[in-house]
Amino acid sequence: MFYSLDRVSGEGNSLAIIRTFDLTKKFGEFTAVDHLNLSIEEGEIFGLLGPNGAGKTTTLLMLTTVIKPTEGTAYVGEYDITKEPDKARRLVGMAFQEPKLMWVMTPWDVLNWHAKVCGLSSSERKQRVKWALTELGLWEDRHKSVHTFSGGMRKRVEVAKILIQRPKIAIVDEPTTQIDIVGKHRIWNMIRALRDEGSTIILATNELYEADILSDRVAIMHRGKLLVCDSPKKLKDSIVGGDLIELVLEKEAAENTVEELKKIEKVVDVLAIKPNHLRIYLNHAEEVLPQITELFMKARLPIRSIRMSEPSLDDVFAHYTGLTIEEAEKQ
Amino acid sequence: MFLHYKFVLILRALWFLAQIALFGLIVNRMVKEEVQVVTGGNYFYFYAAGIVVTLLYSMTVFIGYDIYEEADHGVTEYLLSLPVSRRELVLGRAIGGGLRSFLYVAPLMFVVLLLIGITDPFRILIALTALFLFAFGVAGMSITLAMSIKSHDRFDILLGVLNAFIVRLSTTMYPVAFMPPQYAAMAQFNPLTFAADIFRWGAGLEAVLLTSPFVSVFGIVVFFSVFTFLGIVFYEKRLEGGGWR
Repeated sequence: MFYSLDRVSGEGNSLAIIRTFDLTKKFGEFTAVDHLNLSIEEGEIFGLLGPNGAGKTTTLLMLTTVIKPTEGTAYVGEYDITKEPDKARRLVGMAFQEPKLMWVMTPWDVLNWHAKVCGLSSSERKQRVKWALTELGLWEDRHKSVHTFSGGMRKRVEVAKILIQRPKIAIVDEPTTQIDIVGKHRIWNMIRALRDEGSTIILATNELYEADILSDRVAIMHRGKLLVCDSPKKLKDSIVGGDLIELVLEKEAAENTVEELKKIEKVVDVLAIKPNHLRIYLNHAEEVLPQITELFMKARLPIRSIRMSEPSLDDVFAHYTGLTIEEAEKQ
Repeated sequence: MFLHYKFVLILRALWFLAQIALFGLIVNRMVKEEVQVVTGGNYFYFYAAGIVVTLLYSMTVFIGYDIYEEADHGVTEYLLSLPVSRRELVLGRAIGGGLRSFLYVAPLMFVVLLLIGITDPFRILIALTALFLFAFGVAGMSITLAMSIKSHDRFDILLGVLNAFIVRLSTTMYPVAFMPPQYAAMAQFNPLTFAADIFRWGAGLEAVLLTSPFVSVFGIVVFFSVFTFLGIVFYEKRLEGGGWR
């Protein structure tokens, strides 16, 4: 079957390292992933966002050739995952949502075994395992049994696998769940470093802040379907009137000033909370703010305080689904 | 990893000692002179060589339980995501499982060889190589069965039934001369017969063989090849479809 690139969601497909074409997975009557079309560019951090059960992990398992699609296919590099899974698999490495620690006992053994299977030489293996354990704060515990570790420590061992492997396409599924804030920052920095070294990163997460700060582009999935895919900035901007500016003035704003405010391009609505307290709904707040301040200066209305906020990816998710992430997970 | 089944290992070693030091010695005193003659002059040696093969078989089939344990702990997904082909993965599992049980059984095998006496080191080398392959084949068979049966309990029961037939319809414990003809006919195609007979040949108990060493080695190679191939096919079909979930 011929798959056309036109159907794939993404900015441009010339540098695409992963392309999915109507990728679908059904488990009996349940459709976990429903005709997914997306394109991931080489060298980007691509966030796959959605509540639990959205189909993120199933998508990743198909891309790593762990499970076969029911319908459609995907290209990993130049390889069709349904026709050349062995070749496709060699380009990909995955850190799983639940740590997979096998029957070996210590983090050193777990990582050394993983590195060995990935074909690293003995000296390279030792060097990288030591580096990853040190960077993730596990060096002191390298000979302790992983079965005595906390959830966060086990998770770090899982993430270390990908850092050691340094695959062309690194997939990280919920990399920072159960990890404290210092550990989160450490892992985020290492994911960025991995990208800087040439890996393309696919980050599956339901932590919206994580997706926002790390991802070059984000795809939001819900009930197995792709809702939208773009850069976090563009996704936020796609919510009409999503930005917010709150102004507190030294004295009451005249009615004609409010009307002039409404006429400014990109201002969607103005709400007077109090006579001297205005809430402005708009797009591209950072571009419009100078015009707003100029208007008040001309009207000789001194501004006491300005508070500016932009929508979060939570708002983007809510905008496209009508649900918060928490509500979607309950469904 | 090697000592993952410490408890099983200790119990199997105790089972082996009981089989040799109690059952083997007592039965040896019970058997008639004609049995002693047919088994090369000493039934005890014949029995001891057979029980080593039985132990190797029962230790190796344990890899099937690993498959279920891995599925329960989500390790299956990890193994399937590794940058190796399915063929390499199954071969690695079969060889790893076979090697592990071979190493478990090696000290006991050595004890038996010391009891019987090593006459020809070259023969022993050939026999041990064949037993290596036999263990890989059993591991492949166990993987194939584990892949084709979703329920851990059913697998457990099936193994019990299979063990009862495969061990008893072989020459591991008694010579073919005392088997009814129908049983003897079936026993000659049994991989445990091939393994027990090649081990006895290696140890110099030549007079009691059902099968020639060439046939035994050939049978073991076929057994190993068939179940490694089936293991790969079942892995592909079952696991990649998400069937372990």
